[in-house]
Amino acid sequence: MLSFHPRPTRPRGLASLCALLVLLLLAASSPVQATAAFARQTGSACADCHAAAYGPALTPYGMRFKINGFTETDGEGTKLPLAAQVLAQYSRPARGASTTNLTEADLYVAGRLTDHVGGFVKVEADHQGDGGYATKLSNLDLRYVAHDLKLGGRDLVLGVSVNNNPGFDDPVGALPAPAYLGPPGVSGTLLNPSSPGSLAHRVVGAGVYGFYDALWYAEAGSYRSLSASRQDDLGYPLSGDPGKLSGTGYLRLAWMKDLKRQFFSAGVVALTTRRQRPRSAPTDDITDLGYDLSWQYLGNREHIVQLSYVDILERRHYGSAPLVPGLLAPSHATAHDQVLAATYTFRQSYGISASHLMSTGSRDPVRYGPPGDPATTSNRISLYWTPFGKDDSWTSVANLKLAASWSRFTRFNGRRSNVFGAPPGAPATDASDLDAFFVSASVMF
Amino acid sequence: MTKLFLRRLPLIAAGLFLLGPVAGPRLAFAGDASAGKDVFRAECSECHSVREGRNKKGPSLFGIVGRHAGSLPDYRYSDALQQAGWVWTPQKLQWYLSQPSRQANPGTRMKYDGLDDAEQRDDLISFLGTLH
Repeated sequence: MLSFHPRPTRPRGLASLCALLVLLLLAASSPVQATAAFARQTGSACADCHAAAYGPALTPYGMRFKINGFTETDGEGTKLPLAAQVLAQYSRPARGASTTNLTEADLYVAGRLTDHVGGFVKVEADHQGDGGYATKLSNLDLRYVAHDLKLGGRDLVLGVSVNNNPGFDDPVGALPAPAYLGPPGVSGTLLNPSSPGSLAHRVVGAGVYGFYDALWYAEAGSYRSLSASRQDDLGYPLSGDPGKLSGTGYLRLAWMKDLKRQFFSAGVVALTTRRQRPRSAPTDDITDLGYDLSWQYLGNREHIVQLSYVDILERRHYGSAPLVPGLLAPSHATAHDQVLAATYTFRQSYGISASHLMSTGSRDPVRYGPPGDPATTSNRISLYWTPFGKDDSWTSVANLKLAASWSRFTRFNGRRSNVFGAPPGAPATDASDLDAFFVSASVMF
Repeated sequence: MTKLFLRRLPLIAAGLFLLGPVAGPRLAFAGDASAGKDVFRAECSECHSVREGRNKKGPSLFGIVGRHAGSLPDYRYSDALQQAGWVWTPQKLQWYLSQPSRQANPGTRMKYDGLDDAEQRDDLISFLGTLH
């Protein structure tokens, strides 16, 4: 079916470059999930739940804390479930001016309410280009959990998670949402928060999950998108509205084997929805199917290695096609996101992480612009130091993170050079022009 | 020589009897405390601290060897452990750690599958014995 709905905006020229750099800055500045409030509540050190004592990658112990709804405690009375983070960053893009800013300030309400109710809510204020700050509701994950159940003589945990980011509540940190690591690009799957039209923070949903025999994790849930006005109220511009969703289902099954000194996981994930974008448009049928693998070597915590791979394929059946003279928009398409990530941490204080991110998909010169190849390949490398957050450090329940990171693009829009298709004589942007270097300092307390 | 040994046997036996309480615990620490520290980090450190007065999800293990079960005043134990009535001797720790905690002490909140490797248990208990 053909229609005359507005054609999705194709990234072009300097404006697109700026938009991408903002995306990269946000991606580079928000890889944090550790909350000091959890450490104070449990008496645990940051390093008990996070290999590098600052997140986001969880240890098996951190995964269990999450599955148990953030409710576990040291039993020493009620703790204030508040934490804060401040992040300052120097950014040096390959093209454009370098900047130094207080990039982000976050407030976390995180912890237990009762033995069965806990949650994690992050409100963040992000630095804007005009020097001001924009406040928005970031990740939200509220849980009810029934612990210590038995099924067939084996342990069972049952819970409900109300959250605003499909996959964020997953205990294994391999999926893009909990890993804060999704391939950037012009296409991308719904389970990738870095995709255009991402569902992250613009939907609300609930999932029922179970963790059986400390080995099997299963979850089934559903989501609906927030109204455009509600998204605006929560700090998200209307331009990123993921549209109206119906019949949305989320399924997850993972095998998790904790051997104390090593951890293995393998899982599958699925998301299906019927989307109207814009909201008056005909319906697109979209289904994501993916799998993920992870391995951690923890040993005596002196040397920790974490590897993960996630592969998500999205199938789209468009309900309509934008009309462009001389070009034919396909009615079916695929998008494919893959992330391979590796991290080494020494004494839970010094680390290096590297990731290879690929976003590919079927050719579509109408929706992505000529030549229509959405393929984007990028890498992110980060060196960091987290001096605190261990049992024997100056403080075990707060931390500082100093990091140097590089974002590198080898392909964008399917090209290495002139990625936005500038006409002859006009300034062209190469994939490497999207590269950037960051130095950041963040404090969590 | 044999007669001399037989004459002194009561004296030797008495000496062993008197020295037993001193030598006993040392003999019980058959492991390598240094290796036990690594075992502790892998098996115990997420839930237990070795620092005095620092409780996590589980109580501090500072001074655990020789302590009465459920006796730290600033930790809220399960009823099951408070009523256990035992002392954490090396032998008791061997027994407790060799099986799932809920089998050793039904009703405990501690979730631990046990440590099957006897050598690692020896090492761990030796390390715990240094926490004074």
